Amino acid sequence: MMTQASPATRFLTIKNSMLGLLGIFAIVASQFGGGYMVYLINLVCIFTLVSIGLNLLVGFSGQISLGHAGFFAIGAYASGLLGKNLDMPFWLSIPLGSMVATAIGALIALPALRLKNLYLAIATLGFGIVTQKLIFEWRAFTGGGGGLQVPLPKFADYDLSDGRHMFWAILFCLVIGAWMANKVAHGRTGRALAMLRESEVAAGCLGIRISHYKVIAFALSAFYAAIAGGLYAYLVRYINPESFNTNMSIMFLAMIVIGGMGSIPGALMGAAFYVIVPELLRGFKEAPGLVFGLSLVAVMVLMPTGLIGIWRKFEAKKS
Amino acid sequence: MKLDNLQVKSVSVSFGGVQAVRNVSFTVEPGRIVGLIGPNGAGKSSLLNCISGLSRPDAGSVMLGSKELVGLRPDQIAECGLGRVFQHPEVIGELSVLDNLLVACHRNLQFSVLSEMLGLPSVRQAEMKAREEVEKVARLVGLHESLQMNAASLPYGHRKLLELGRVILLGSKLLLLDEPIAGLNEAEIEQLAQLIMTLRSKGNLSVLLVEHNMGLVRQLCDEAVVLDAGQVIAQGTPEQVLNDPKVLLAYLGEVVENA
Repeated sequence: MMTQASPATRFLTIKNSMLGLLGIFAIVASQFGGGYMVYLINLVCIFTLVSIGLNLLVGFSGQISLGHAGFFAIGAYASGLLGKNLDMPFWLSIPLGSMVATAIGALIALPALRLKNLYLAIATLGFGIVTQKLIFEWRAFTGGGGGLQVPLPKFADYDLSDGRHMFWAILFCLVIGAWMANKVAHGRTGRALAMLRESEVAAGCLGIRISHYKVIAFALSAFYAAIAGGLYAYLVRYINPESFNTNMSIMFLAMIVIGGMGSIPGALMGAAFYVIVPELLRGFKEAPGLVFGLSLVAVMVLMPTGLIGIWRKFEAKKS
Repeated sequence: MKLDNLQVKSVSVSFGGVQAVRNVSFTVEPGRIVGLIGPNGAGKSSLLNCISGLSRPDAGSVMLGSKELVGLRPDQIAECGLGRVFQHPEVIGELSVLDNLLVACHRNLQFSVLSEMLGLPSVRQAEMKAREEVEKVARLVGLHESLQMNAASLPYGHRKLLELGRVILLGSKLLLLDEPIAGLNEAEIEQLAQLIMTLRSKGNLSVLLVEHNMGLVRQLCDEAVVLDAGQVIAQGTPEQVLNDPKVLLAYLGEVVENA
């Protein structure tokens, strides 16, 4: 069985070393790679942030959401509008914009308290669609279908609009976000969420207030999606309601399933798979979508617990 | 700590047109182990659900000391010191036994999600303290060697011990045990019975035990309440109750009349 290891050896596990190597690779590639590669790396980091948050909701508390593109969009628009209309710097407008999304996430949780499984899926799907339509129709405020030009991301007088520079801001958010999610996942909140997923009845009898924790799970996951949305807005600097569609919500959900439920490295793997594999498939001129679809099927058939499942199997064999 | 009476007063429950529980009253005196027995469908589970706040009776009241439990949420009832052990143990498979036990320390760890996200030192200290508490309880229920194991790989009998460990950690003063030994082997039954006796002998605990195994009821209970078709048909010491003709009739049906 597991023995008590010294803090140093516990930290220097193969898993952490691999994550470290991956981080170094991402940093090097983001600074020295071509413009498109930098964009892809930034996108992977942004989607990882969404996956980490969505995992708290889906992987831990066992709820489902088919509307997270809505929170991503609210984060993108709220921070973009704060920056544009109030001249707020991006490092302030993104967290403030995300607070808005978090509050909406908590409100969405209230009707969701009474819904389960497929019913919850449909209700959240509705939320995503309504959010997209609202942005579309509220032209005076959001620019509607014409889109929104987002100001330059500036830190003091330093311009971060180059992807290589924006990468540091994104990486900063990702590292802090992953660190915080890890604390939540392995602490009192994570245990309470997992217990309510296993059995709401048993969780209640153990003193866990169910409604409270469902709201927390929704609000937290909305917060992560919105931070990611804000970063996305300042990365691409032009946003349009078209992109925040149901397809995007399904993509977010697919990322955590592909990566592996309830795992933070899994969130990274799922996001990377979703961004990078289609790029690798560009060679299949006629049918990149077809091959990507088949690769999704293959992953789920061969690795039903997601990409992180391979890692877990390897670790189980080792011990 | 002073223990309170659990008083079930004229409780009735019906589902649609079916009266599952009719005007049931009994009391669990402090420090006593009371058996709640009766054939399948007698209304034992419905009654237990009312006491632990999972369903609401149509009439009647459930008092713990001077506190009315009807209308409270399950988590509030748990906070009043009522701990329920389910018939089928509910464990989180992919988490360790340690984490599964820590779930029950939820109420004692009073910090916000935000302070947890920030990893404040006070959070770490509280977690360390809870961990010590868990280790103590794990030793008591005999799970101290499995603390790092995944709960999914825990044998069924040990899962029941885990559930018992949880209600101890919860600080419950009154345990509701729903068929605690169903699915256990002889050795495990003996272990569990011993554990309940030990807990009770330390004082500070009353038990309401739903059980089909009459041997265990005789061994553990100070008192038994027999339900049949939603009504109390007998009440007294296990010996009295198990020799009561009405009880034999309820359990064995016409066989007794023909004998």
